[in-house]
Amino acid sequence: MKRSLLSLVRRGLFISLVFATLAVTRGSVDDAQSFALQAAEPYVKEGFQVREDYWGGDLGVGEKKAVRQQLFKGNEYWFWMGTEVERAKVSVHIYDSEGKLAEQPDGWEKGHFAAAHIIPKGTGSYFIIVAIEESPEERTHWALVYGFR
Amino acid sequence: MTPFVKYLNITIAGLMALTLYASAAQAPQRIDVKNLNLSIKVDNVVVPLPNEVFGALNKLGPVNWKEYVRSDRGSNFTERPRIALLLGSVIADGFIAVQAEDAPAVKDIGQRVLALSKGIGVGSSITQHAKAIIEYADKRKWENVRHELDLTQNSVQSAMNEVHDEKLSQLVSLGGWLRGTEVLTSVVTKNFSTGGAELLHQPDLLVYFNEKLQAMPEYKMHLLQEIHGALIEVKPLIDVGNQKISPESVKKINEITTRLGTAIVTKD
Repeated sequence: MKRSLLSLVRRGLFISLVFATLAVTRGSVDDAQSFALQAAEPYVKEGFQVREDYWGGDLGVGEKKAVRQQLFKGNEYWFWMGTEVERAKVSVHIYDSEGKLAEQPDGWEKGHFAAAHIIPKGTGSYFIIVAIEESPEERTHWALVYGFR
Repeated sequence: MTPFVKYLNITIAGLMALTLYASAAQAPQRIDVKNLNLSIKVDNVVVPLPNEVFGALNKLGPVNWKEYVRSDRGSNFTERPRIALLLGSVIADGFIAVQAEDAPAVKDIGQRVLALSKGIGVGSSITQHAKAIIEYADKRKWENVRHELDLTQNSVQSAMNEVHDEKLSQLVSLGGWLRGTEVLTSVVTKNFSTGGAELLHQPDLLVYFNEKLQAMPEYKMHLLQEIHGALIEVKPLIDVGNQKISPESVKKINEITTRLGTAIVTKD
């Protein structure tokens, strides 16, 4: 009886721990998203419609991830990346379907924020490459949002 | 140390720091996209919202959007995949009605989106957005309506993903994309321009949707098979490399997407 009670308590603790870990992980990607949206804020006043959807996850230092994105000629796009790890440095760059750097020169990287700007020369698929350049964390949460006008 | 040497040292140190900073910030001019999958993880292609393509289309010349506002909101279905397709299509109709600044149509669409979402079990997550769509349409605040339509689609898909209904979520995107493409091709057929036709250059999206449809064998619906076949038919018409998409191809895609659009809103 005692043993089964102990086992139940242990199981309960384990389940709580799993849920707590999941909540922290989820919360961090959501936090990263709020930083990405913070970077986007000034652009909304310039007429950019920021999409509700976002892309995120976690990466180690020096790791990269590519997001394929359909862009339309005639529109202008900004991509904003953010992380909640304030001492991290992140980067985002845009390449066309042939692998050529296609972004405007006014993209920027400011610590845990980064942004890339593109006025597509053609309609088609582009690659948005995100990277964690520096971070005190083993894995760093990131989020990417985009806007267009 | 003479002042000159000191100055030289500072300059060299400054230049080195600048070089280091530049190399940290500078992105390679080229990447090997063919082997990208081997070096880094590549996510699925992101499905654009219909208003992204409508925005680009608007910049090519005036479009009489009122002509494309649809009054037929579709039948009442019980099969969830059909509701999902129709929901995506109706949200796309919402973006068209916003382009046309047609408040009664937007309000009607807000109600329809709510009913369809309830039919698929995600009504509670979009009730507030449906209300907001109607309120903003009354006030003719079109930017806010657009934002609420985006929020609606996002909330519906998030709710579906949370209960592991990712396939239904993909059908919502597909329904929206088909309706958007139907209207895009209709506009470009009426007033052909190479710039308008180029907006159809979306081969990766076709591949993406076809892969997703192939991974839905449990939905034994004729309509999904028909869409799958149609996407295969459309691919060579838009995947033309550096060539231009012809007026004939645009017309053909319009016929195909109009046929599918009608099938999505009508009962078999």
